[in-house]
Amino acid sequence: MSGGLSVQRIGERIIRSSCHRFPPDVAADRCREWTAELSAILDDASIRSSFLRALRALAFCAGIARTTWQLSRPARAGSRNAGSEQWRTGAPRARPGAMAVRVAVGLAAYLVVAGVVIGTTVLTADPRPSPWPWLLFVPLAIGFDAYCLRDIVRATDVRYLRKWVWALICLAQVPLGGILYLTIGRAGPAQPAPPGTPS
Amino acid sequence: MKLTAPLERVLRVLVADPAAPHYGYDLMKAARLPSGTLYPMLARLQQEGLVDSQWEEPRPDASGRPARKYYRLTAEGARVARLELARAATTASGTRRVVARPAHGTPGGSS
Repeated sequence: MSGGLSVQRIGERIIRSSCHRFPPDVAADRCREWTAELSAILDDASIRSSFLRALRALAFCAGIARTTWQLSRPARAGSRNAGSEQWRTGAPRARPGAMAVRVAVGLAAYLVVAGVVIGTTVLTADPRPSPWPWLLFVPLAIGFDAYCLRDIVRATDVRYLRKWVWALICLAQVPLGGILYLTIGRAGPAQPAPPGTPS
Repeated sequence: MKLTAPLERVLRVLVADPAAPHYGYDLMKAARLPSGTLYPMLARLQQEGLVDSQWEEPRPDASGRPARKYYRLTAEGARVARLELARAATTASGTRRVVARPAHGTPGGSS
């Protein structure tokens, strides 16, 4: 139970720090609402495992923190509270990041992956190479590609190229193709299902 | 109102019983949406007068849990939601027909 309580404390702290981005009249209301939702998640009897409840609660808080932060970026760049105003009036989606930042993040991610793969290969280079790096990397690569392809299929829109071209790029070059898609080609958050799907 | 896929999911849940109040986590589960998508959407719907919110009254049997904020469609919201969902259904069925049987010489039938 103490685990649940500490998750609640962590979640409440995340919510409070997110609410600081709102105008004062909205912040208290939002903070009260989301704290109650956090309790509802941690008490959700339909999720049997307390670990999964904790994960869901943290994902709930992370989603709020991420969107609040994204919507508050125009406030930092321009008029004060402009981003919070979007929350007050509602915002259809978070703004995608600047292209330069996305490309830099993608390049850095690729260099890290390439460095780890090359470093591991060099370190384990001997006459009888151990198969464990491949046992680790191949499932990771398949999982990453599957994630990218799932994202492409579910996205309502992608940038610069057609969906099938991005899918080919993802398949042709692992992991650079997927990183390119996520940093450049992705137009916005993936949709949970194609439009028109009955719930 | 632009009917995105997440918005369509939320409206379907709300329209299923327009009088029933839903709190955020309830809607998240029913519409299968993350928090970062749902709450800005609810704020926008509320701003447009399509959704109304109300704080739960403290109940003696609630075992001390914090009061929740409940959302429900307004009368105007229910009307607009039904209209938009019907329009989306018509568009989707029309698209399916075009994709299944593209007319001869029609460009872009398989996009």
